[in-house]
Amino acid sequence: MKKENKLKLSLQAILTDLLFWIYIFGCISFLMDRWFEETIPGLNVVIYGTVATAIVIIFGISIGRKVFLPTKRTNKKWYKTFWGWSIVLILLITFIVGWLLVEVNLYKFFTKFRNAGGIMSGIFDPNFDILTMCLTALAETIYLALLATVFAIPFAFILSFFAARNLMPKTFIGNTVYIIIRTIATLFRSIEAIVWAIIFSVWVGIGPFAGMLALVIHSIAALTKLYSEQIENIDPGPVEAIKATGASTLQTWIFGVVPQIISPYLAFTIYRWDINVRMATIVGFVGGGGIGLLLLQQQQLLRWHNVGVIIWLIAAVVWIMDMVSAKVREKLQGK
Amino acid sequence: MKNIIEIKNLHKIYATGIHAIKGVNLDVKEGEFLILLGLSGSGKSTFLRCLNRLIEPTSGDIHIDGEDVIDARGQKLRYIRRKVGMIFQQFNLIKNLSSLTNVLTGKLGYSSLLHSLTFPRQKNDIKIALKNLHRVGLRNYAENKIMNLSGGQQQRVSIARTLMQNPKVILADEPVASLDPATADSVMKYLGELNKKDKITIVCSLHFLSLARKYGSRVVGLKDGEIVFDGTPQEIDKKRFKEIYGEDAQEVEIR
Ligand SMILES: Nc1ncnc2c1ncn2[C@@H]1O[C@H](COP(=O)(O)OP(=O)(O)OP(=O)(O)O)[C@@H](O)[C@H]1O
Ligand SMILES: [Mg+2]
Repeated sequence: MKKENKLKLSLQAILTDLLFWIYIFGCISFLMDRWFEETIPGLNVVIYGTVATAIVIIFGISIGRKVFLPTKRTNKKWYKTFWGWSIVLILLITFIVGWLLVEVNLYKFFTKFRNAGGIMSGIFDPNFDILTMCLTALAETIYLALLATVFAIPFAFILSFFAARNLMPKTFIGNTVYIIIRTIATLFRSIEAIVWAIIFSVWVGIGPFAGMLALVIHSIAALTKLYSEQIENIDPGPVEAIKATGASTLQTWIFGVVPQIISPYLAFTIYRWDINVRMATIVGFVGGGGIGLLLLQQQQLLRWHNVGVIIWLIAAVVWIMDMVSAKVREKLQGK
Repeated sequence: MKNIIEIKNLHKIYATGIHAIKGVNLDVKEGEFLILLGLSGSGKSTFLRCLNRLIEPTSGDIHIDGEDVIDARGQKLRYIRRKVGMIFQQFNLIKNLSSLTNVLTGKLGYSSLLHSLTFPRQKNDIKIALKNLHRVGLRNYAENKIMNLSGGQQQRVSIARTLMQNPKVILADEPVASLDPATADSVMKYLGELNKKDKITIVCSLHFLSLARKYGSRVVGLKDGEIVFDGTPQEIDKKRFKEIYGEDAQEVEIR
């Protein structure tokens, strides 16, 4: 093994051990606080963790070493090794801390069902008098999702070419363009649509338009990534052949790339519309309009029988969209 | 006969550090049918792709039909490329489009963007494309999708695509390597005909000595990126064969 490589792996191993033990002592500190109202100061947690790391490294029983550095193969069963028990320890302690943090309460779960009686009876006895109002709101949501998808397509389509590694020249400019578009797309996609909806409901006011804008941004980011990955998977042969005929770069993309991606693009886009319908209901909750907003209002008024209708309608639409989009994608990919 | 291709001291070093072409000097005369022989990895594909700059050569000098290939940029490079047809082992056609559409893409080097976007309505281009499909015996397959054609038919479509370019030179990178022997010979026949009738110069890499003897007018042997043999097909005896393919090689006869 190369020297620098070994150094790098050793560092990674030590770092892993440090994090491992500091985390363990951090958890212990939390448990002491909960159970005995006895806190270990933060600095001490780090010190204990470091000491524990030093000890396991000196005795050669560290976990990091097991993971990063080559060790002799032994036939020892895991429960006869120190690292085996370290892993049991970390899993156990994480589970206990998690249980306390999430306030898991099985007693409430099994005895307080009656509290949900209102909503349950609403679901099984929906008030169909408000059906017209609900359908209007539902249409708003579906069209919102549709428009968001349609608006996102041209942007994502064009951006995807510049976000495909195999199409961008391996020059400074090519790399920069690729990295910038990919980074922004990843960033925007990792911000939930619901956050965008909050931003836009302040910007353009509460209502379906704000919801649509939120979904457009999110869809552009998501589709750019999906599309460009599709471009990276095409057969490079035809592109090379078309380049060799003397075609310009744009012609090469139009005649060599586009025919290869058109049907997967359609499949992704329909899938996206499907996702957008789901997201549109959620986005409605925070000011994006449509059926989500209606659901929020009725829930706050405690009109459980109205809530019941809305829940059934949402379920039906999501189910139908899911089925239709699966069928269409199957058709497209079958070709 | 004048030289249609002139190559001086051509080098290609890949980013990985592999020195694939090591100072090749070669002049190809107009009308020659030059066969490139060499083991897998000897640099045949790299060499052919340097000639039309699908791969950027590291250094050296290439002239095709009197034009400097290395210096060419943008429009000039397109102009040179359309004079140089290329045929690939994997055919490199767009599988979900028809033969006719694929053949039409051979005209891209001559077309503006607007013109190429209206190909389906360019009567003249379509007429030429159908004529070229007829030449390779596929007039009745114009509307068939590529994925429904056999390997031999696909390679003939790609020859028709190349003909759209009115090429002076055709570079063929193992054009028959993925075909069975009989089909391979029938595809080579078309290349031979283009060489004889249309006076197109052909540079073609091959793995079969028998095909080289049958169609080639000159054979160049490549080994580790260097030319180790340059002569007529008849000159390749056992000794020469071993120079190209290494001591342990045996000639397998294939007809
Ligand atoms: N894109 C690339 N990047 C790095 N090295 C490459 C690349 N393409 C080819 N090479 C290397 O260059 C050398 C020549 O390869 P080349 O494909 O030109 O050989 P070839 O004679 O065409 O072989 P084959 O008969 O298998 O097609 C090989 O060592 C190969 O590994
Ligand atoms: Mg090759």
